[in-house]
Amino acid sequence: MATSSTDVQIGPNTPAREHPAAHLTTDDRVGLLRAMLFMRAIEERAMNLYRQGKVPGSFYDGFGQEAVSVGATWAMAAADRLCVLHRDLGAHVVRGVQPAAILSQYMGREAGITSGRDGNVHFGDHRTGCVGMVSMLPDMMLVAAGMAMAFKLRGEQRCALTWFGDGSTSRGDFHEAMNWAGVQQLPVIFILENNQFAYSTPIKQQFAVNPVERAAAYGFPGVSVDGNDVEAMFEATRVARERAICGGGPTLIEAATMRMHGHGAHDDMKYVPKALVEEWREKDPVDRQSARVKELGVDVDALRKEVRAAVDAAAKKALAGPMPDPATATDRLFHPRDAEEILLQDGTAPWSGFSLMRPADRPSR
Amino acid sequence: MTEMTYLRAISDGLRNEMRDDDRVLLMGEDIGVYGGAFKVTDGFIEEFGADRVMDTPLAESGIVGTAVGAAVVGLRPVCEMQFADFVSCGFDQIINVAGKMYYRQGLPVNITIRLPSGGGFSGGPFHSQNPEAWFMHSPGLKVVAPSTAEDAKGMIIASIRDPNPVIYMEHKNLYRHVKGEVPEGSYETPFRARVAREGNDLVVITYGAMVHTALEATADLDGASIMVLDLRSLVPLDEEAILSAVHDCSKVIIVDEANQTCAAGAQVAALVAERAFEDLDGPVVRVASPDVPIPFSPPLEAAVLPSVERVREACRQLLEY
Amino acid sequence: MPQMGVSVAEGTVVQWRKQRGDWVQADETICEISTDKIDTEVPSPASGRLVEVLVQVGVTVEVGTTLARIATDARPGQPHSSEDERPPAPAAGAPAPARGAAAVAPAAAARPAPAPAPAPAPGPRSPASRRYSPVVQRIADEHGVDLDEVEGSGRDGRVQKKDVLAWVQAHGGAGAAAVAAGEPTLHTESPYRPGAGASLSGPYAPPEGRPLSRMRQSIGEHMKRSLETAATCTTWIEVDVSRVELARRQLGITALPLIARCTIGALVEYPLLNAWLEGETHTVHEQVNLGIAVSLGEDGLIVPVVRGAQDLSPEGLGRRIRDLARRGRARQLSPDDVRGATFTITNPGQFGSMMATPVIAQPQVAILDVEAIIKRPVVVTDAFGEDAIAIRPMVILGLSWDHRAIDGALAARFLASVKKRVESYEA
Repeated sequence: MATSSTDVQIGPNTPAREHPAAHLTTDDRVGLLRAMLFMRAIEERAMNLYRQGKVPGSFYDGFGQEAVSVGATWAMAAADRLCVLHRDLGAHVVRGVQPAAILSQYMGREAGITSGRDGNVHFGDHRTGCVGMVSMLPDMMLVAAGMAMAFKLRGEQRCALTWFGDGSTSRGDFHEAMNWAGVQQLPVIFILENNQFAYSTPIKQQFAVNPVERAAAYGFPGVSVDGNDVEAMFEATRVARERAICGGGPTLIEAATMRMHGHGAHDDMKYVPKALVEEWREKDPVDRQSARVKELGVDVDALRKEVRAAVDAAAKKALAGPMPDPATATDRLFHPRDAEEILLQDGTAPWSGFSLMRPADRPSR
Repeated sequence: MTEMTYLRAISDGLRNEMRDDDRVLLMGEDIGVYGGAFKVTDGFIEEFGADRVMDTPLAESGIVGTAVGAAVVGLRPVCEMQFADFVSCGFDQIINVAGKMYYRQGLPVNITIRLPSGGGFSGGPFHSQNPEAWFMHSPGLKVVAPSTAEDAKGMIIASIRDPNPVIYMEHKNLYRHVKGEVPEGSYETPFRARVAREGNDLVVITYGAMVHTALEATADLDGASIMVLDLRSLVPLDEEAILSAVHDCSKVIIVDEANQTCAAGAQVAALVAERAFEDLDGPVVRVASPDVPIPFSPPLEAAVLPSVERVREACRQLLEY
Repeated sequence: MPQMGVSVAEGTVVQWRKQRGDWVQADETICEISTDKIDTEVPSPASGRLVEVLVQVGVTVEVGTTLARIATDARPGQPHSSEDERPPAPAAGAPAPARGAAAVAPAAAARPAPAPAPAPAPGPRSPASRRYSPVVQRIADEHGVDLDEVEGSGRDGRVQKKDVLAWVQAHGGAGAAAVAAGEPTLHTESPYRPGAGASLSGPYAPPEGRPLSRMRQSIGEHMKRSLETAATCTTWIEVDVSRVELARRQLGITALPLIARCTIGALVEYPLLNAWLEGETHTVHEQVNLGIAVSLGEDGLIVPVVRGAQDLSPEGLGRRIRDLARRGRARQLSPDDVRGATFTITNPGQFGSMMATPVIAQPQVAILDVEAIIKRPVVVTDAFGEDAIAIRPMVILGLSWDHRAIDGALAARFLASVKKRVESYEA
């Protein structure tokens, strides 16, 4: 049976035998950094465009939280399925969504993933196996549980994963999802993105007992991880995935991190103590991974330049794209009976571990 | 063709689809081991197993939300809300997750949600509701409400095969009181209206249990020729059938068992007023339950739900106009 | 006569909806006209009584000519000009337009004649009973029934639908029953003469010719003028549309918007094809306003324009084309919808024809014809230079072009560009 020490904090001080990097090649470690750099660069660019009036509505980012989505998604196989939330752009990047499509999406252009039907990070490219979120949180926990339920019923070695924030755990759907997943022992990974604040509400006003401690009450393990260590996030998710596909049931992973920007671009986060922000700035996930990768002799500056250039080109392409045709606003409410069935498809799964697996070990459909 | 009850027809339809398509999965409270609160799924767990006839936790939001997840990876879940009234516990998942997914993300959600609805048996406020209007008002959901055994089977089959979320209103007072000839095997009833009785002096437009009330009320009314139009499908609403009936009859009574304000009939009335104005020979009249929770004690309930007598009197008045 | 579009100079009255003496409300349709570009209804500029009709049906006048006079100081409820000693029709408070007179329509002669001078109203009735429901008014209108004559069986003597229908049946003869059922009245002026017996071997008596419809004449003039003005040549190219067929199934649209999209791409590459030649003035356009020929069946055709087509995706083009076609067939296009095309595509291929020699729409310099997509055996060469026969859906694109503006080589290069885009199309 799979893994040990899943109840133990995984972080920089974990013994070498369990060290996350044991499962990561240099390419993986660079890839993790590259994906985080893309997420950060795309969001920075989008923020600029927002300030220039090119992004309608509101804008949300995951600045300072890049490791939570990138690290976890890196452990997902092509056939696994994800419900991605608004501070998890890195998931889309790892699964293969192009920066130009993301920027088009923010700007409400025809070439965006939803062709302007939904805004900002409320998208999921079904061609990469991702389901677009709704604003009511944490509704997507149930959808992820449902996908896992189907995998289990069909006897498939696949899992589902979703993120949700500390605030959303106060709502009933959190309980229903945790309970359902525990009762049916589903192959689902719930990542609690604890970034200390839900809009202006700090966690001490949100719950009396940290949700990760309550996982046992639902019948499965809860693990706390340094959410700003992308390799630790990867490892925790990898372990949870192993548990899931071997029939060991769900895992709740608490990714401890900090929301470094406001709730949205419209929020100046005056309510957050400055000292707290500074403390977390020292732990910036991109800086930390850059340092690691530099030590391996990789030219991080060149990588940053490459990412920057790609995002610039993507922005140019996105800005040139047309807005959606108003005449189409009432189209496509119902899928026609005789049209082809549309289902979630496989996404990119860049982890070296998947290609190194023997064919028999590869996740089956 | 076999004569069977409305309830048995629904079972038949479900069984048909479960046998034909192993992607179909039933989910609900007490539907497996117990066979369902109303015995619609009696015998199913023995034939199909506990995996496909799933006894879920008491969690309406969970039932709908997990069904959405299962649907987008290729299953065809049919959810049961034990009583239509409990659907409000899963409202958010239906309205915001299931209903809007395709429009926003291009990902269709093939789920069916069965709601045993309606009153007339002292069920009281929480076991007698007709909540279809909530779902008609929410874009991205189809809503159907068969009134005969034949349509009950054909529509549950069609609902399961429709790639979009379908709210299927099964009126529980019709379960054992309505019988009819039902074809064997597989067939689908289209999401369109049906003329329950032809006529041309006046048309009663309605659906669900009220179709039977309307037929009884107008069977022999001073020799008048009264059409009864059974809508069967609320979203999509069969506008053509409605306008054609009004063109022929020019006098319209719309009957809702649901509470009057913003019931399905209100939408029909607005449609008629706007698009059939020149065909009208009298005001568009509605008969519905007043805007109160459905009471428990029999004399109170009978005073609230539209009765045969109330419908008959409304028709008589309009015929005389 | 209104000006329906900048280039329209005249129009013809097709039908008068109001007669002399009728009350008309402001914005109510008073007559219908036909012009080169479009047929349309004319809303009345004011409320009042129509006192004089100056231009009869079928007469063509210049834009700006007065068509009729309306007395705006008149009041509704006053005696109709055709009523002499009759008491005025009580208005019952509601200024309902007096639609009592029969509408002028060719079949009107077949219907019962409008009621003659009615006798004094049959007995006193309460004011409420003098209000007629919409359907009663409509039926009365259609048959020229004076509702004063009709006995009401509804509450307080109200005239119900069945009362006016019964009246029509009793007074209207055979046509009434059909009307009650919603069927159009049969034309009683039937050409059939029983007993006339056509001789089997007599001399051939040709049927009587009639003038072509206004739209047909207009199309004909335009086509003739084009052929007389331009030095029209046609070049064809054969195109393999396999990729387009695949893409269109994926996108759920027809092939036309995809081919249109490729054509637009080629026009951007060869802008000389996206130009106007008016006399000696040659204008090369940057924007592509794509004219799409829409058939109106036997009545003719119309060419609505997709403006700014270069900005649209194939799905966007598809939607815009469908919308314009639908409105074209329903005669709902506005003058601006048919102006300003810089290039035209005609697509009559659904019947199976292979090639055609389309006529250029002036003042454009080219027009692209897309005929039927037909599966044919073609030779394909693989990467190693080996030839094989494959079955491919093929279409022949025909480009008619004006030799005054461009040469055959350019026409051929343009077509080659369209071909390349179509054959390498990726959704």
